[in-house]
Amino acid sequence: MMFRNFKLVLAAMFVISLIAGSAIAEQPKPWKIGVAVSLTGVFGKDGSLVKDAYTLWEETVNSRGGINGIPVSVTFYDDKSDPATTAKLTEQLIVSDKVDLLLGGFGSSQLFAASPVAEKYQYPLISGGASSNKLFERGFKYYFSTLGKATEEVRGCVDIFTAVDPKPKTAAIVGADILFTSLACEGFKKYCEKNGIEVVHYELFPMALQDYNSLLMKVKNKNPDILLVGSHLLVAMKTIKAMKEIDFSPKAVAFSYGPTVPKFVEDLKGDAEYVIAASEWTPNMPYEGKMFGKASEFNQLYQKRFNRNPDYVEAAAAGGAVAQQMVLEELGLKPPLTKEDRVKIMEALHKDKFQTFYGKIEFGPDGANEAHPPVAVQIQSGKLENVFPLEFAEAKILYPFKPWKQR
Amino acid sequence: MDAVLVQAIINGLLLGGVYAAYSAGFSLIFGVMGVVNLAHGELIMLGAFTSYWLFQFFNLDPYFSAPFAMVFLFSFGYLVQRFILNRVMGLPHIMSYILTFGLHLMVANIAIKIWTHDFRSITTSYSGANAAILGLNIPYARLITFVVALFVTWGLWFFLMKTETGRAIRATAQDKEVARLMGVDIRNIYAITFGLGAAITGLSGAVISPFVIISPEMGLEYTIIAFCVVVLGGMGYIPGALVGGLTLGVAQSLAATYLNAGVSVAITFIILFMMLVIRPTGILGKGNIA
Repeated sequence: MMFRNFKLVLAAMFVISLIAGSAIAEQPKPWKIGVAVSLTGVFGKDGSLVKDAYTLWEETVNSRGGINGIPVSVTFYDDKSDPATTAKLTEQLIVSDKVDLLLGGFGSSQLFAASPVAEKYQYPLISGGASSNKLFERGFKYYFSTLGKATEEVRGCVDIFTAVDPKPKTAAIVGADILFTSLACEGFKKYCEKNGIEVVHYELFPMALQDYNSLLMKVKNKNPDILLVGSHLLVAMKTIKAMKEIDFSPKAVAFSYGPTVPKFVEDLKGDAEYVIAASEWTPNMPYEGKMFGKASEFNQLYQKRFNRNPDYVEAAAAGGAVAQQMVLEELGLKPPLTKEDRVKIMEALHKDKFQTFYGKIEFGPDGANEAHPPVAVQIQSGKLENVFPLEFAEAKILYPFKPWKQR
Repeated sequence: MDAVLVQAIINGLLLGGVYAAYSAGFSLIFGVMGVVNLAHGELIMLGAFTSYWLFQFFNLDPYFSAPFAMVFLFSFGYLVQRFILNRVMGLPHIMSYILTFGLHLMVANIAIKIWTHDFRSITTSYSGANAAILGLNIPYARLITFVVALFVTWGLWFFLMKTETGRAIRATAQDKEVARLMGVDIRNIYAITFGLGAAITGLSGAVISPFVIISPEMGLEYTIIAFCVVVLGGMGYIPGALVGGLTLGVAQSLAATYLNAGVSVAITFIILFMMLVIRPTGILGKGNIA
């Protein structure tokens, strides 16, 4: 009896699998999109943000009938924050997985390694998480970035001071001596000079520096009106701690990166007040596009899916995915893509202007986004408030910053 | 005297106090067992995280969490020595380097899995509070750490000199065979020593937690500084940690003030290199180089 039942079950399973198989075969082949991104290692945290952004894009596209009626399937590989692995995985995605298109991961060194592979196989590669100027100085045709260049990203943090009264006259610039942060310092310097702010101190320090007090004490003695810091999150946090300990209260302090990460406000609490940071996007910007609607609607989707607000890097990553999608729709392409198709996509990316929730995207000849105005945000009552550009500002900049001893 | 110079020296001494506080345990463990503990920074990290979580969940002040950090780290250190390091004690030193390096990787990576890469910070109502005396700036949290460093050094010296267990530790350090013949359970003494070293390191992790940034990967840079401090003061000579810490702190602060921050980091290694070549027994010449 048992045995007969078993045979019956087997037969049923066989029939079911046949039906299922034919059902799958009738489905159109989805768009295969590959991403090599850091999910563990130093950039594990940042990389997972980028993954969330692409995941939300994938789910939203599929819930709205796919691209040209065909669903999207994104494959993520973990490069473990090692650039050599990023390059290897990018090649694997192209050669053995035969993906139709790529999207970029996080980090300048990662993209620096991945982009030559994409260039060689003629795959457009759009990233939203890398901005070192070096990426754009290689004459590549297939590399694109929705972020501006590192030196340009910090422009808002300096230009904002033209809107305050009295205008600061002197600035000190310090920063960690690694690629992205040292470029941010160069940008700070460039725009200080443009705005007639005298740079009274300029110093790069190694990431391994443990004692920020002595360094900042030296800066304090020069009494600059404002302090501009080329930073990552860790550098930004250490700087605030040290400034308070040595009672260094310039009229304002601005960072290239760090304060927009929620942990900054969560752990530094009141000490994070008045801090200014560079950004490229905030949910209140009046941007609107086809895929996600308004910037604020993208924010709501994020809230619903991940229970948190997106960082600007996530918006930039999703913005890149949308730009690529818009080209596919314009050209009316269907998978699998040929080499000629990808050449056309690359040309369209260079030529077209994209209107998205992330703002206008116009890739210059070097692949950098030229249409995007840099944003400055300030922490006011524990919230990131957009203070620059002035036409989109949701709050007025609080200036000068309240001295430590009076808080 | 020039106010900038005085301030630079004060900064240096306070920084040196921090260095001394977290290096004393490293010196003790080396002095007794000849183990260069490459997982030293992880002990500091665990001490700092103990403070962080007690602060987050129970709103316990970092200074009150110090005893918990000591108990936790003592148990951790005792068990590590008893069950792991004791296995290689009779073998060439390279084995203990490999083992403690493995421990460093293991503890740091487990911590990453549990606590993620996030950078954390403890902000209390008095965070960053400082005194301004005669125009000179003295942050209280660092002053407290300085006092803790003095107290740890003195306490450790007192313990080693005046207690039965301390005597047994010294005896084991001097000649473990004779100590064994005199009835000392040297495996247990080793475990107690490592536990003690870990406990004072955990204590230092807790007292520096109000002014440092805490993350699972913070350990390595602390190990490097502790190594320099201990070489400077004399390997295994407990008061040497204080001498080495203060010397390094002042040297770095002066370099950062009068040269630049890059030089202040480089100077650590220049001093380390010169000491190892010219005077491997430390500034006071009391270090153990065997």
